[in-house]
Amino acid sequence: MSTQPINKGPHDLGGAAAGPIDTTDHGMKFWEKQANALRSTLGLKKIVRVDELRRAAEDLGDQYYKLAYFERTTMALRTLLIEKGLITEAELTARMAEVRARFDVPAAAAAPARKSAGR
Amino acid sequence: MTLPSTYTPAPGHRFNVGDRVVIKRAFPPGHRRTPYYIRGKGGVIERICGAFPNPEELAYGFDGEPAKVLYRVRFQQTHVWPDYTGPARDVIEMEIFEHWLAPASGRAKAKRPTQSG
Repeated sequence: MSTQPINKGPHDLGGAAAGPIDTTDHGMKFWEKQANALRSTLGLKKIVRVDELRRAAEDLGDQYYKLAYFERTTMALRTLLIEKGLITEAELTARMAEVRARFDVPAAAAAPARKSAGR
Repeated sequence: MTLPSTYTPAPGHRFNVGDRVVIKRAFPPGHRRTPYYIRGKGGVIERICGAFPNPEELAYGFDGEPAKVLYRVRFQQTHVWPDYTGPARDVIEMEIFEHWLAPASGRAKAKRPTQSG
């Protein structure tokens, strides 16, 4: 059998070297509170399940630890809402452009993913 | 003081407290809730937690029925981690669904865990 773990998700860390842990409380940004509230509401309304959200997050693969926590959970929510047909990729893209324009965000603004976030 | 149990009934459970089991050495794709490092390891049923909708199905939008029996399984740390340097009596317990368990030969020699565990 191969020494490369087969189908091992990025979340499955048991036995891995831990390294230092950043215990600083970074608080929550405004968008993180909004995204978290949306995720909680969709859960309470039984539109998305925590198992589905975890699956969508785990499927991010190499992206998993490049994203900060709320970026990861929001990406998972995006995947599920598109998968369930509640929004389309086109609608989301159009709405993001509209919001960027409303807040005068440069179109070329960097993607939110932080390369050095997490482990 | 005894708190009321939050466990759900688990009719038709295949294993009993004290049974020796082996975690299946399988590596299927998908949303799997059995940690990688415990696959292929042997342990003892510590308790029957109840029956719950299968998270491996819930993750893809199915209803998770029929419910799967969930067990708490006890493992010796020195067995799980060959380079473990802690006391030989140390154990690790985790909750594993029935479809990940296979019977192992023989019954546990270790004393049965108490209910208050």
